[in-house]
Amino acid sequence: MSGLGPLTSRELKKWYRNPVSLLTGLIQPFFWLALFGSAFSKISAFGPTLLDGAPNYITYILGGVLTIIGLFTALFSGVNLIFDRRLGVLGRFLIAPIRRSSIVFSKIFASSARILVQVGILILAALLIPNGLEFKHGFTVLDALILIAAVMLVALIFTSIFTTLAVRITRPDTIFGVINLVNLPLLFVSYAMFPPGLMAGWLSDAAKYNPVSWSAEAIRTVVINGTLTASQMHSVELWLGGLAILATVLLLMAYFVSENEIRE
Amino acid sequence: MAAIIETRNLTKIYGGKVKALDDLNISIEEGEVYGLLGPNGAGKTTTINLLVTRIAPTSGTAIVNGFDIVKNSLEVRKSIGVVPQDLTTDEDLSGYENLKMVSQFYDVPAEEAKERIHKLLAMVSLDDVKNRLVRQYSGGMRKRLELIAGLVHDPKILFLDEPTLGLDVTTRTQMWKYVREIQEKLDVTIILTSHYLEEVDALANRISIIDHGKVLATGTSEELKSNLKGDIILATMKTDKDAETLMKYPGAIEAKENGPRAVRLKVQNSDEELPKIIQYISGNSLSITRLTVQKPTLDDVFLEYTGNEIRTEEPTDTRQEMMNLRRLRR
Ligand SMILES: Nc1ncnc2c1ncn2[C@@H]1O[C@H](COP(=O)(O)OP(=O)(O)OP(=O)(O)O)[C@@H](O)[C@H]1O
Ligand SMILES: [Mg+2]
Repeated sequence: MSGLGPLTSRELKKWYRNPVSLLTGLIQPFFWLALFGSAFSKISAFGPTLLDGAPNYITYILGGVLTIIGLFTALFSGVNLIFDRRLGVLGRFLIAPIRRSSIVFSKIFASSARILVQVGILILAALLIPNGLEFKHGFTVLDALILIAAVMLVALIFTSIFTTLAVRITRPDTIFGVINLVNLPLLFVSYAMFPPGLMAGWLSDAAKYNPVSWSAEAIRTVVINGTLTASQMHSVELWLGGLAILATVLLLMAYFVSENEIRE
Repeated sequence: MAAIIETRNLTKIYGGKVKALDDLNISIEEGEVYGLLGPNGAGKTTTINLLVTRIAPTSGTAIVNGFDIVKNSLEVRKSIGVVPQDLTTDEDLSGYENLKMVSQFYDVPAEEAKERIHKLLAMVSLDDVKNRLVRQYSGGMRKRLELIAGLVHDPKILFLDEPTLGLDVTTRTQMWKYVREIQEKLDVTIILTSHYLEEVDALANRISIIDHGKVLATGTSEELKSNLKGDIILATMKTDKDAETLMKYPGAIEAKENGPRAVRLKVQNSDEELPKIIQYISGNSLSITRLTVQKPTLDDVFLEYTGNEIRTEEPTDTRQEMMNLRRLRR
């Protein structure tokens, strides 16, 4: 796809040159860990059974926080497209002989790259803080790949949805409204933060269908257990498979909508 | 010479209601600077946007550099450069980075792009500020950057939509210089829109006047002016009665009121008619306070075809008077 390279590089330049976005991106992981680690530390008192065998709450919650970081960055992936349209830059892209979808996919890729950096920082932060992340049963290359795949698939799912929305939405406040509407439900109706045992029955049932739960659970399984048993592996495969199917469908949607519908 | 752009009943209706372009047929030749002149809302930007495949026509089509804008928009886009009416460069990148990005859109090889970008930057005197963020550019600098952003891939055709809109007079004249230089050095066909008459007059070889989405007249500036039969004589009289009498002057093709006690006479040839008018005035003992002869300007052409004047820079009274004096003395 011609246009994808230069557009993605533009997107990344805008990101790392903006000191505020760079700084908040660096601080945010510590924030999350400090807040959740201490706010819910009492949960540890329920013992390892409730935490699926995790040695502490940080270790338990890591999968959730990684997923949420991916999710929240992804929700904002369409905002730049709306501003490109407002500021006239989109006009320059639309008169160029590039694939229209490369405009949208540059946002998807740039957001994914940002998420990857944040994931790295967050894991580092979790390892550094006292009573933080502990790999009790080791952490293999396969575990690392599963972790990255889970976060990236969640990222692709939601960047696809939100960049596609931005193809048709022309007002920034509209997309901010949509983001505000969905972010908390996606976070709380999931297993990202709490063990199912602590959730109301109906909430826990609904959370089963949330891709945020799938990613959080998959990461949790590999972080806590290291080498997986056959049945654990099977669950992880199901979660990742679900995420992959959803991501593929939504990426295809993003492709077709952006090829045909994008305009000033 | 062959036509490089030809529109065929090009029509654009926005939202099923606003007919912005109505069966437009124009033909633009290779190597010329072609001006589209029209008042606000005439359909100039719509014409450009259709030709550069930014929007699709409601009906009709156009051939640009041998390619159909509807069926082969990608090929059209490759052969043209565009400088849209609104700004399109990215404020968060430097001038150089903006041009580099555009060159990549057109798959210009890196080395070639570098050379060309430097040449273009030098041409519009932006080489000193090429590494500054566009956010820090002045309005004129930004317009110059927009101008060359349409040229990094060596297009055959360049579209300029209101290239000097919002610039002060000095900067505008400077932009004209750059546009002429581009046309001479880069061997490119230029399509220019403007509602500044002087601009089109100064830059374009051939002009179409459009209004309400239709072409009203096409030709060189000279042709358009000479098609307007007759010169204009403006006279201001001392009394209303005198003005009325002058209105009845038999040698005029047309006589109109032109303000209080002022008369606008259209005559075949002012050089022959003026002595007769003076005789008529003294013969009828009329008192005259002011007499002006006007050769037709593009303004008059515009007025004739659109019924509107779009003069944007009113000469001051004293300047006008001095010009009048000079004309009378000739
Ligand atoms: N996107 C749009 N939707 C609806 N109507 C539009 C749109 N763009 C232009 N129009 C209408 O089409 C007509 C022609 O507009 P256009 O922009 O082509 O004029 P123009 O000659 O470029 O004017 P200006 O000198 O102000 O730039 C106007 O009546 C305008 O209101
Ligand atoms: Mg316009």
